[in-house]
Amino acid sequence: MALLELSGVTRRFGGLTAVNDVTFNVEAGEIFGLIGPNGAGKTTLLSCLAGDLRPNAGSVRFDGRDTTGLPADRMCRLGLGRTFQIPRPFPNLSAFENVLVAATFGDPKLHGEAVARRALEMLEYVKFPRPIDTIASHLNAAQLKRLDLARALASHPKLLLLDELAAGLTPGELTSMATLLRRIRSDGVTILMVEHVMGLILELCDRLSVLQYGELIAHGDAATVARDERVREAYLGHDYVL
Amino acid sequence: MSAVSSGSATLADVIRTHRRRIGLLAILGVALVLPFIPPFTGEDYRRWLIVAAFMAAQAVAFDFTAGYINIVNFGFAAFVGLGAYTSGILAVDFGISPWIGMVVGASLAGLVGLVTGALTLRLRGIYAAVMAWFVGLALMGLVRNVPEVTRGSLGLSVPLLLDTSENLPYYYLILAMLVVTFVVLAWVIRSRYGLAFRAIGQNLASAKASGINPTRYLVINFVLSCAFAGWLGGFYAHFYGILTPDIMLTSHTVEVLAIAYIGGRGSLWGAAVVAFPLSIGVEWVKVQFSTLPGVHLVLYGVLLILVMIYRPGGVAGLARSLDEWWKRRRLPDRPSEATADTGG
Repeated sequence: MALLELSGVTRRFGGLTAVNDVTFNVEAGEIFGLIGPNGAGKTTLLSCLAGDLRPNAGSVRFDGRDTTGLPADRMCRLGLGRTFQIPRPFPNLSAFENVLVAATFGDPKLHGEAVARRALEMLEYVKFPRPIDTIASHLNAAQLKRLDLARALASHPKLLLLDELAAGLTPGELTSMATLLRRIRSDGVTILMVEHVMGLILELCDRLSVLQYGELIAHGDAATVARDERVREAYLGHDYVL
Repeated sequence: MSAVSSGSATLADVIRTHRRRIGLLAILGVALVLPFIPPFTGEDYRRWLIVAAFMAAQAVAFDFTAGYINIVNFGFAAFVGLGAYTSGILAVDFGISPWIGMVVGASLAGLVGLVTGALTLRLRGIYAAVMAWFVGLALMGLVRNVPEVTRGSLGLSVPLLLDTSENLPYYYLILAMLVVTFVVLAWVIRSRYGLAFRAIGQNLASAKASGINPTRYLVINFVLSCAFAGWLGGFYAHFYGILTPDIMLTSHTVEVLAIAYIGGRGSLWGAAVVAFPLSIGVEWVKVQFSTLPGVHLVLYGVLLILVMIYRPGGVAGLARSLDEWWKRRRLPDRPSEATADTGG
């Protein structure tokens, strides 16, 4: 049984269908990539999985139960962690407190001193480069990405949704992020990542899905999908438009 | 994170680590002796002190909501009034002791806060604020329109809390109520509830993604703030001995809001501390310009605008910046404690 099963997920905004009848599974233990041009509906789809948006049709099963339309805080406590495309820290809390929030409320099994210990461990795990009492609003973009990742991991997720984690990172930061993601996977966390940096996708992902205009146009193992003609067209804009 | 340094801590170290608590105790000490320092030895001036402490306690309860979950309760004064009328009516019609009436008033204000909160706090920011305002206006309308019970704008005469007409005992009573309000709410803020409040107030999406059920914590916060408002209203009723619906006016909420914001949102202590100079200054202005009713509101408005433009963190924010500047200045001769913590 797959960890995450999407079946016919559809989300409309007024007359616009942002996500249309998307079906795929994410197996436990894999790194699954979701790619597609800008505006293809990737973030909308993630929001439907994470509980920020309710799908208009279709169903989402996570970890053996129907989670369609459950709110984001329930999804977090059920074991779904997520990072945001643009990191959204708690600006006036310290880095430590930012992660502490998720350790306190995201993992129902954690109590007492273990909560603070988890928060410290996670900051260390992502190699957070600043003193932990630094106020979040004083951090730069790359540091915020790591903080957001530590926060998402602090609730001890089974599945991690990453929305363009690599965007805006330097090549050096990219390499160390790839190492970190591989380590997260080998520690037993399944990853579903939305990404534009193809190098990272091809390096990390076992399988890929490609979204265009809200629909799944290709699906399969990473190397095959990357060679797919339709995918190349979607990306290179080589469409035969009338 | 118990990274207490080894060996003997000098007095200076103790002062440094407890500087917040020491500062607050010193301010409390000043508040305790203030009525014996001229001109506050006079009965009229002691009355100003009572008003100041009453405003301070209200501002703390207001900041608990506005400063942490980022919801402005524009109906705040109505919850104060609800507590006042509850306690007053219980005393007048049923002969119940004001001390018990105040607790009942607090409970009722909390209960109405629960209903209001459950209905409005699913909405975001400004909508919740407007809904709370409407509930406040509705409460005031209710009090106006049932003169059989409340005597409407004629005013309800209420027995006094203490068996004296002197102001000094009342001052110490409201000072004690201020301390209780502050200590209880500050304790909640330090708990996991406070962590949830701050997370929700600073970023709702991340708070949800971190497993926090926002409605639950928003309502808990709102109920607590309303209950303290009602309790303080009970003091108001049995100190003045006369109640009119005007106690619920939005302008009273705005006075409390101005003090809370000038003191510094999200600090609790800032509101309590600035309430004294501000409301004493305002009382003085009211006396000097008695021909210009409402001039104190203009004064609050101007001060509020200046603070919002130049010091949005208020007095507490200013104190925090000074504290950080002081720490930075000392940094060269001390290894960074925070970095050392990360290793442990």
